[in-house]
Amino acid sequence: MTGPGSGELEPRATSLFGDEEVALVDLLDRLLAGGVVLAGDVTISLAGVDLVRISLRALIVSIAPVERPGTLAARAERAELESGRG
Amino acid sequence: MAEDDDGGRTRANRIEIDKDAVRRDLMKLVLTIVELLRQLMERQAIRRVEQGDLTEQEEEDLGTSLMHLADAMDELTEEFGLSPEDLNIDLGPLGPLLPRNR
Amino acid sequence: MSDTLTYVYALAHGVDPGEVEGLTGVGGGAVRLLSTDGVAAIVSDVDRAEFQERALEERLEDLEWLTATARAHHHVVDTLGHDHLVAPLALATVYFDDERVRAVLAENRDAFSAVLDQLAGRAEWGLKIYARKGGGGGDAGEAAKPRSGAEYLRARRKALRESETSLDDAREAAMEVDAAVTELAAATRSHRLQDAQLSGQSDPMVLNHAYLLPVERVDELRALVASFADHPKVRVEVTGPWVPYSFAQAAQGAS
Repeated sequence: MTGPGSGELEPRATSLFGDEEVALVDLLDRLLAGGVVLAGDVTISLAGVDLVRISLRALIVSIAPVERPGTLAARAERAELESGRG
Repeated sequence: MAEDDDGGRTRANRIEIDKDAVRRDLMKLVLTIVELLRQLMERQAIRRVEQGDLTEQEEEDLGTSLMHLADAMDELTEEFGLSPEDLNIDLGPLGPLLPRNR
Repeated sequence: MSDTLTYVYALAHGVDPGEVEGLTGVGGGAVRLLSTDGVAAIVSDVDRAEFQERALEERLEDLEWLTATARAHHHVVDTLGHDHLVAPLALATVYFDDERVRAVLAENRDAFSAVLDQLAGRAEWGLKIYARKGGGGGDAGEAAKPRSGAEYLRARRKALRESETSLDDAREAAMEVDAAVTELAAATRSHRLQDAQLSGQSDPMVLNHAYLLPVERVDELRALVASFADHPKVRVEVTGPWVPYSFAQAAQGAS
């Protein structure tokens, strides 16, 4: 475990940790240009066989109210836009 | 496609349905999806309340429905011996299904 | 056309060809040295079929292959990095053949030399900062059952906002730590927050940075991190020293 207080912070550039102690995620951060991202999909498998992939990104859309001028919501929305949020 | 359990596209999140525990695992799948939708609906309802977009009656009815939904989920997960952890899938860019502090 | 490509692990200064003897890299290939004029490339042969562009894209999706390749790559870089100045390249930097590598070395000799000079006497350290699990904030354990739908919504809203606030607090604290460590560093680089499934961490990550630190400042780093050990909002993890993977982009760019 590489943590503070592990007593292994030696002030020599040449003292490097052995292979086994390096966490894969940390290594991949450094070896791959963009780091590693797991796809936002879910795969359902049965008896060890992948059968269905659900892409949840496509399915989820939040429903915003239709703007009607003068409602509290419409005013709030305008304020949001003006303050550059969202 | 001939991909074994951990080969191939291991980067996708996987819900395994064990053929010997189909009922339990199927429920886990169903409840996971239901819980996702419940959480999303709850968050969206809260947003709508904050935006002042609902009438008092709508707020009350929405709140009561969500409360009953939450109770029903608690009962079902208990019945099938599932914990909040069991229902969680990390969707990467979408973040985990359930927020870590529920 | 040959059935191999030349895989380049890193650029280096002052490595003897003898020192790479017996060292094996990706796919078990024997590691060799290609040098021109002081700047050397650490290379080995790899299967063309495995590393050609389209095949490579698919392999990068395969976590098993990725793990094996990353570890093999790291083994080479880390072994040589012990006693030499090394500027590591990204995973799977391949060239048509040795000739091509030598040509690139010659074309970019000055730029590569400059990168290596920048790294001399410095090592990379990583900071990973996580938000501590809230002190009861956001917990769905309601003391009393809400008596109305509206009350339920209010309670849920409060819980959600509290957990967001605590995440914000953690981010703020993380910025503090980052600012302090940046003072010690010659250069910094930020990495994407790590996927919870890969890292196995349940606390949300709020910062993932790399710092190029002069070796003589390590004690200061240690003291700084220790001072944050009991911070109520964040947990700070240090990794390192690393061969400076995150700071060799200039070397990468020329390829």
